[in-house]
Amino acid sequence: MFDLINPSRVFSWIQKLINFINSIFFVVLMIALTFALIISPPDYLQSDSVRIMYVHVPSAWIALASFTAIAFFSVLSFIFKIKNLNLISKSIAPIGLLFTFLAIITGSLWGQPTWGTWWVWDARITSMVVLSFFYIILIVIHKLIEDEDKAYKAASIVAIIGSINIPIIKYSVDWWNTLHQPQSINLLKGTSSIHSSMLLPLMLMLLVLLLYCALIFLMKYKTEIIRIKKKNIKRL
Amino acid sequence: MIQKIMFMNGYGVFVWFSFAITFVSCAIIYIKTLRTLKKYENEYAKELNKLSVSERKIVLKKSKVASQVFASYNKSF
Repeated sequence: MFDLINPSRVFSWIQKLINFINSIFFVVLMIALTFALIISPPDYLQSDSVRIMYVHVPSAWIALASFTAIAFFSVLSFIFKIKNLNLISKSIAPIGLLFTFLAIITGSLWGQPTWGTWWVWDARITSMVVLSFFYIILIVIHKLIEDEDKAYKAASIVAIIGSINIPIIKYSVDWWNTLHQPQSINLLKGTSSIHSSMLLPLMLMLLVLLLYCALIFLMKYKTEIIRIKKKNIKRL
Repeated sequence: MIQKIMFMNGYGVFVWFSFAITFVSCAIIYIKTLRTLKKYENEYAKELNKLSVSERKIVLKKSKVASQVFASYNKSF
């Protein structure tokens, strides 16, 4: 089964996927932005500031999903000793860090008009800052440790330890008193308390950002494959 | 209409800045990632070019990645 993710096998598909995403990305982006900034109605309580949700919420979801994926692949690489899973994790980490920062910054920009403050050390925001530290550690490990196997091992351990933070982020709004509202969308149950006029732009923006993540991931993964092949050129 | 979209009932600065920071940082990361990929592709293709004809033949035959990178590099020149 893991042969399916063999770099040599997937390499030819990577460029095809990159070309496909590039061809549809701009159209999907324009549709999503039209819905998010023009068509969707203002909120009865938050007025137009609610539109920040269309970048803040997908960014936070992607930040959490990226770290969950990294932790999952780290566990699998420990069990099955598949080096390729480490390459995938390494390629996901910068994307996760970018969206963690975006979730924090856009959250701060949403906080000022909604709560009247740019920043509070509440459970959700603090645990997101902790998540960004874990991402930074993962990236720094790959930059500083020259022995790749040691770097992958250290990164996997950090990812597994950091995965403890994921349920803390998710349930922080239920476990502690925070300024954050409880979750409006339950992805596991497929339920939502958001009206469809706002849910559609939210899902469209999520699609746009997921396409972007796929694009960056594929380019980073391709770079990693070439880097390794370049290193082993004399061995062939 | 345009004024309404720009000002957004007084929240325009917050909304537009949120979208701008998201898409500008995404664009920067995209350009940086693309440049790194192209750099590695070119370096790899140049290393393949440095090999003797027989060595290169073996490498291109054995590695799909090498043959694809080498082909796209030669196509671009």
